[in-house]
Amino acid sequence: MRKEQADFNRLSAVSGKTNAVLNIILLGYALICILPLILVVAVSFTDETTLAIHGYRFFPEKFSLYAYEFIFSTGSQVVSAYGITILVTVVGTLLSILIMALYAYPISRSDFKYKNFFTFFLIFTMLFNGGMVSTYLIGVNILKLKDSMWGLIFPYLMNAFWVIILRTFFKTNIPDSLIEAARIDGAGEFTIFFRIVMPLAVPGLATIALFATLQYWNDWFLAALYINDPKLVPLPYLLYQVQTSMQYLLQNSSNIGGMSGDILSKMPSEAARMAMVVIGVGPIVLTFPFFQRYLVKGLTVGAIKG
Amino acid sequence: MKHTKKLVALVLLLGVVMLGATTFAAAPYEIKWYFIGNGQQPDVKLVEDAASKYIQKKGLNATLKMQCYTWGDEYDNRMRMIIASGEKFDICFTSSWANLYKVNVARGAFLDITDLWKKYAPKSRAQLHPAFITGSAIDGRNYAIPANKELAHQWGFWFNKNLVDKYKMDVTKIKTLADAEPFFKIIKEKEPGVIPFQNLHNENAVRVLDFDRIADDYIPAVLYNDSKDMKVLNMLETKEFKEYIELARKYFLAGYVPADAATVSEFVTDIRAGKVFSKIESLKPFADEERTASWGIPCVTVALTQPVVQTRDCTGSMQAISKTSKNPIMALKFLELFNTDKYLNNLINFGIEGKHYIKVSKNVIDYPPGVTAQNSGYKPGTPWMFGNQYLNYFWKGENTSKWEAFKKFNESSISAKSLGFNFDSTPVKNEVAACINVWQTGVAPLVCGAADPKTLPDVIARFKAAGLDKVIAEAQRQLDAWAKKNKK
Amino acid sequence: MNEKEFLYPRRLSPAWWHESRKNRALFLMLFPGVLVLLFYNYLPMFGIIIAFKNFMFHDGNFFTSLFKSEWIGLRNFEFLFKTPDAYVITRNTLLYNLVFITSCTIISLAFAIMLNEIRSQKLSRFYQGSMFLPYFLSWIVASYLLYAFISPDKGFINTTILKSLGKEPIAWYSEPKYWPYIIVLINGWKWIGNNCIIYLSSIIGIDQEFYEAARIDGANRWQQIIHITLPQIMPVIIVMFLIFVGRIFNSDLGLFYQVPRNAGMLYPVTQTIDVYVFNSLMRMGDIGMSSAAALYQSVVGFITILAANYAVRKIDPDSAIF
Repeated sequence: MRKEQADFNRLSAVSGKTNAVLNIILLGYALICILPLILVVAVSFTDETTLAIHGYRFFPEKFSLYAYEFIFSTGSQVVSAYGITILVTVVGTLLSILIMALYAYPISRSDFKYKNFFTFFLIFTMLFNGGMVSTYLIGVNILKLKDSMWGLIFPYLMNAFWVIILRTFFKTNIPDSLIEAARIDGAGEFTIFFRIVMPLAVPGLATIALFATLQYWNDWFLAALYINDPKLVPLPYLLYQVQTSMQYLLQNSSNIGGMSGDILSKMPSEAARMAMVVIGVGPIVLTFPFFQRYLVKGLTVGAIKG
Repeated sequence: MKHTKKLVALVLLLGVVMLGATTFAAAPYEIKWYFIGNGQQPDVKLVEDAASKYIQKKGLNATLKMQCYTWGDEYDNRMRMIIASGEKFDICFTSSWANLYKVNVARGAFLDITDLWKKYAPKSRAQLHPAFITGSAIDGRNYAIPANKELAHQWGFWFNKNLVDKYKMDVTKIKTLADAEPFFKIIKEKEPGVIPFQNLHNENAVRVLDFDRIADDYIPAVLYNDSKDMKVLNMLETKEFKEYIELARKYFLAGYVPADAATVSEFVTDIRAGKVFSKIESLKPFADEERTASWGIPCVTVALTQPVVQTRDCTGSMQAISKTSKNPIMALKFLELFNTDKYLNNLINFGIEGKHYIKVSKNVIDYPPGVTAQNSGYKPGTPWMFGNQYLNYFWKGENTSKWEAFKKFNESSISAKSLGFNFDSTPVKNEVAACINVWQTGVAPLVCGAADPKTLPDVIARFKAAGLDKVIAEAQRQLDAWAKKNKK
Repeated sequence: MNEKEFLYPRRLSPAWWHESRKNRALFLMLFPGVLVLLFYNYLPMFGIIIAFKNFMFHDGNFFTSLFKSEWIGLRNFEFLFKTPDAYVITRNTLLYNLVFITSCTIISLAFAIMLNEIRSQKLSRFYQGSMFLPYFLSWIVASYLLYAFISPDKGFINTTILKSLGKEPIAWYSEPKYWPYIIVLINGWKWIGNNCIIYLSSIIGIDQEFYEAARIDGANRWQQIIHITLPQIMPVIIVMFLIFVGRIFNSDLGLFYQVPRNAGMLYPVTQTIDVYVFNSLMRMGDIGMSSAAALYQSVVGFITILAANYAVRKIDPDSAIF
């Protein structure tokens, strides 16, 4: 089937000239996006003093690993932070995709009487918020999110925006007739959902899965609210702590006395900042190709019909 | 036989009851303490255990639990959530710049300890310079215990000694900001990569004017420190301010000040790289020593103002008792011990002797072999915050006559007339919000010299439109009432 | 298949039985999501009352404090309007959002279609991935990168480009006139890749049979795009638009506060409602006022999304959100 598609594409594909033009435009934009990241990596490997004197350069004036040493000097905490982040991301993404898809399906069914009600129920939460304090109260007292992994997973299980996107994908890419046919054949809703809808919606699911993965991986906000135990600190929050205290110490001289000065005098602030980005973002960038595998034309409707 | 059995049973029962009673009575109270610093240290449990054992030995049936959050946003955000959600804890760090003291008191988050500390922490109270007590009182009531450290503040120049020596500058002759100009000129001509005057918006030279900002740091309602008529003025309309921004503009246009002074707030990297010649700093005895240790550049300091004590100096570092504390008396007793007991104070400040530090002489300490600032398991980095600096040990290299110098410094200072007055912004909170916003937008470029002084009238007009006059009137009203009550 | 199923559905099982059986299954599917929303979103909504109260702590816990605090009606909202900047912040927020939605949508769509059209799948994936990269970087990092370019003394543009052209260096952080363009460009840089992926996966899901049929009818590629691709993904485009409209009074603090480094002189073009609220309330810690600001933005967004949804429903009922 893949070969058929490839042939099909070539038959009605754009002309060679247009293809070249499109490629040039896309390449140009792609470069604009990649170059800053390369700069970030370059700066992270640059010696701090040369940064202060010469500014950012694509090729480090003086190569230095000190920023990374400094960050990893906290030792075991970085390792445990990575572990927590990976666990939270995997569990969180799988769970949230399931819950969101399960919610998106009923509201995409045009013959479901209550679809408008549940859609409104969902969207309202996107528009109105009880505020951080009351959410924190409920989170700590009723949901017991404090100092628990659950506190890093639960709040993001339902993202209204993504559910709506999923719903729209379900609606447009899966024709009603297909579902009707399945129902006449005696299939129950769950069967329809898992056997028909999910496979057809793979590109959409992969997209949302990518977003969810990113959100769980990059999040420090939940940790800032709910986590005290150093063993449960995820990577972005660890980096955030280093970053904010570093920033504060760099902007205020008068308040600091005594020997914290010792640490200050060695802190590679600019390089360390960039190194933190590389440490935090690096692994997830590498998983992107994994998701891309699913962003291809998957099973066609025809295949299902057969 | 029956009698013996009954007797044994009775004795056993009595024994159990007594055991239960003693265990129940002996359940120690856990004191929960939140503070700011270098983050929760890896060895904090060791210190907590040692401290708990010590305070129990001293008669307090309690254990200590410490939670440290890092500098900057983290401590503020965390405490805001913790306090807003009514969480039960005992002590927290508060000040005029973090976990804002005035704001929390206005909302009723802290316990009124005016009478309690006279009873349960009398020595902590007695050892403080009276200005600390009056200065940190709001409407005559105290809500937190200030740390005993240097009291007054003083503004002056920090000069990069390497450059001063290189060009043989006699900086001791400098008495005002304008006096420094010839030196800036030399640096600008001879050292192209160096910033002659690091006049950023967040640590700006306008502080040399040393106005008493009685409303808020971001509101230009001020008083002169030695004000004779106690009249609240709009700082932007004073002669001193106008002269200052002309000078700042001159320096900016001459290239002595960085072009992005109005937007950049980080300067330490540049200083460490040797790229800065001078800056206005807050001085105290042996400040040059501390800066050199922090920044790695030898320096010379020149004072430009005399030591003054304003209300905000008294609220620079305090420990407050939360209203949600279940046993505030125990907490106070602990703080009393902490502020007066040398062993406990240094334990919490520096860690366990032998593991985190070793004694070089009676009052001087150093790292044990193999331990450095970076790998030490306990370095909260906050001696000036913890209780009583006069009890602290000195690190090797620190000047041991520091505490005497502090005492002398405190005693030589003058107190601002408004010492003890704390403005309550609730009646004008909308105008205050709008004014703070105008300050952020308008004042920063002016004081760096990035904006033309001709735009000053516009900024003044914007403040007026935001309701500054109403704020000033309210501040005047509160000030007069307070002055009357305190017979000033 | 037994007898019952063979005679499905008319004779032995009434319509309502199947309706409710179907509904039961659907309700079950909705259940986990509803639980999460109820507990994490709806339960805390009592917090909206804070906006109308002068919050003070009283003995006890948060609830008793909230209950006992004084009701002050709309007074917490006043600071949003009494400021001399009220017009500026509202105008900035609205205008930027409108420009964002149009520019991002058009460019992302164009890119998505292009990515679908180019011949090499490998290259297409490479472009996709690259475009998505800016989304990984936080606004703080973006602000440092921008600073590396436009810093007055050390920036790449001033020291290299302008110097080689013989022009005077520009004080970027003091001149408001460049910033509307800078902000729109940077916003695009961050979001286009993200939006593009959504549109692309939507395009991928289009049934190939449509294209087959069109090709047989003799339509060329361009016509296929206009008559098949665009209409097929129109629901997604409209949904994105509607959701965005619901947040029309909100802005990203990272973009408007951190990227311009809160430069005072740029405020006429960089200050939005969120920046204003953040600046004013940072030192005041008044949760009543910050709640009021959030509520204000929510209500406006709510009204706009209802209105937009109503308009959409008139045109194409299927595309409306509700």
